[in-house]
Amino acid sequence: MPGILIFSENNAIALELVTAGLGLKATMNHSLCAVALSEPDAAALAAAGADKVFLLNGQDWPEGCAQPIAELAARELAAVILIGGTARGKDIAAKVACGLDAGLVTEAQTIEIAEDKLQTTRLKYGGLAVACEATGLPAVVTIAPRTFDKAVAGDGQGQVIALDAAAGDPRVKVSDLCPIERHGVDIASAARVVCVGRGLAKQEDLALAEDLAKALSAEIGCTRGIAEDYHWLPVERYIGISGQNIKSELYLSLGVSGQVQHVAGIRDAKVIVAVDTNEKAPIFAAADYGIVGDLYEVAPLITAALKK
Amino acid sequence: MSKILVCYKWVLDEQDIRVNAADASLDSSRAKYKISDYDKNAIEEAVLLQEGQGATVDAVTFGGDAVKQSLKDLLSRGPDKVFYIADPSADKADGYVTAGVIAAAARKTGPYDLIICGEGSADSYNQQVAPRLAANLGLPSITYVQSLKLEGGRVVATRKLGDCTEVVTVEGPAVVSVVPEINKPRIPSLKQVLAAAKKPAEEIKIADLGLSPKQLTAKTVSLTVKGFVMNRKNILFKEPAQADNVAKLVAALAKEGVC
Repeated sequence: MPGILIFSENNAIALELVTAGLGLKATMNHSLCAVALSEPDAAALAAAGADKVFLLNGQDWPEGCAQPIAELAARELAAVILIGGTARGKDIAAKVACGLDAGLVTEAQTIEIAEDKLQTTRLKYGGLAVACEATGLPAVVTIAPRTFDKAVAGDGQGQVIALDAAAGDPRVKVSDLCPIERHGVDIASAARVVCVGRGLAKQEDLALAEDLAKALSAEIGCTRGIAEDYHWLPVERYIGISGQNIKSELYLSLGVSGQVQHVAGIRDAKVIVAVDTNEKAPIFAAADYGIVGDLYEVAPLITAALKK
Repeated sequence: MSKILVCYKWVLDEQDIRVNAADASLDSSRAKYKISDYDKNAIEEAVLLQEGQGATVDAVTFGGDAVKQSLKDLLSRGPDKVFYIADPSADKADGYVTAGVIAAAARKTGPYDLIICGEGSADSYNQQVAPRLAANLGLPSITYVQSLKLEGGRVVATRKLGDCTEVVTVEGPAVVSVVPEINKPRIPSLKQVLAAAKKPAEEIKIADLGLSPKQLTAKTVSLTVKGFVMNRKNILFKEPAQADNVAKLVAALAKEGVC
């Protein structure tokens, strides 16, 4: 029977895909299958609502799962394959799509079946636009983490079926797996954010933003340039389409021009405030409140006013 | 000497695309083209390998007629030669078609010891051409690479994967995609710009790639593209004294309950 197949090497994300998959199952009337890499993960996916879970043994490198997943999808006649949109997941998805000679939609925000095709929406032009696209079946889709809520464990009675993984590629050797150390909080879940951009003249002047952040009980975020070009703040603090997306109640920017890629990361903030010298900067079009002025003059005034 | 292929896309500069507030349509009439930002890192990495250990660098692009404008810019960044496939069908190409076209071109102009792509394009950011290209060519892929070495015939790359890094070693050849932090692309010097005029640019006709109509038909079709419209208050405080503006701002934030 044609069905829906989901996979993520990160089981928290796989559970989000269960939610997306159950939504499709309701309209497609097909079974929901999943691929898991460990027994506890398989059990969790079955309990959350997967009808069948294939347990893929003996694969140390998640990328090595692409071929067995493509073979499984072909055998099970999967019509829609949902893969968690991590870096590894996007790599795997492209190879699965090649194996199935299928289309691949990257980081879909919505998915539905319309006229026997998969209809999806995703961002284009650095977040400036939303494209609605149709892909013939079978179709592979990656979905970014946190796009859907995690499916909760229920009384799912899905079957778990063990599979043997294909042998790895003898040309490839993987070594030195090393976790990236995170400093400070997760900016994506911060309640308030003060964001600095290239209007800041030197690294020492971050103190100005830190004072304001303290007065607001906010976290410090930044634009890509501050993190990746100047290295003044760690990369996990940069906000934008390829960095963090924030959902804070307040976002206040100092010296941020507001390129589309940055603005795409602040859209879900409840209140947006901008301070920048250039009145024509695009950040003001994206803001609720703005002050045209020098951040070196305005930021300390805001800090002082908040302390009163 | 190693032979490297670098892939790039000629895209509209998204900073110049305007969204019409009335109907959310896009106005790209004032937008100029540019080499996709991520591909500038791919080009720079190929050129760094060329300078560091000696290698020939070919570049390849697939796009509409406009790609011809990209050739001089591309060559001024260091590659020795550029192959271009200019065809109006490129406007409708998805990752499936593009990877198929580039793979067919690489078979014609190769073989290569290393193929380098950016992590995604600045316009569509589908991030699938590099791994698809690898699969089409039967080569291993190493995606999201933050540092890269060629050691003899071996490709050694450190990948950056959100919460971890890992080293992948491939007994070459391989296809890699690089992340922006891998290097800082240089701005071409006047000498390089002048030298670019003397370097070869060769057109490859799409009809000569031996691809079937099916292989040139996109799996994913665009239905609509609409600008993202921000509905924000857009209140600018414009009193002559900044202290007055700040007082108004803080009052507004207090009213919103966010300070």
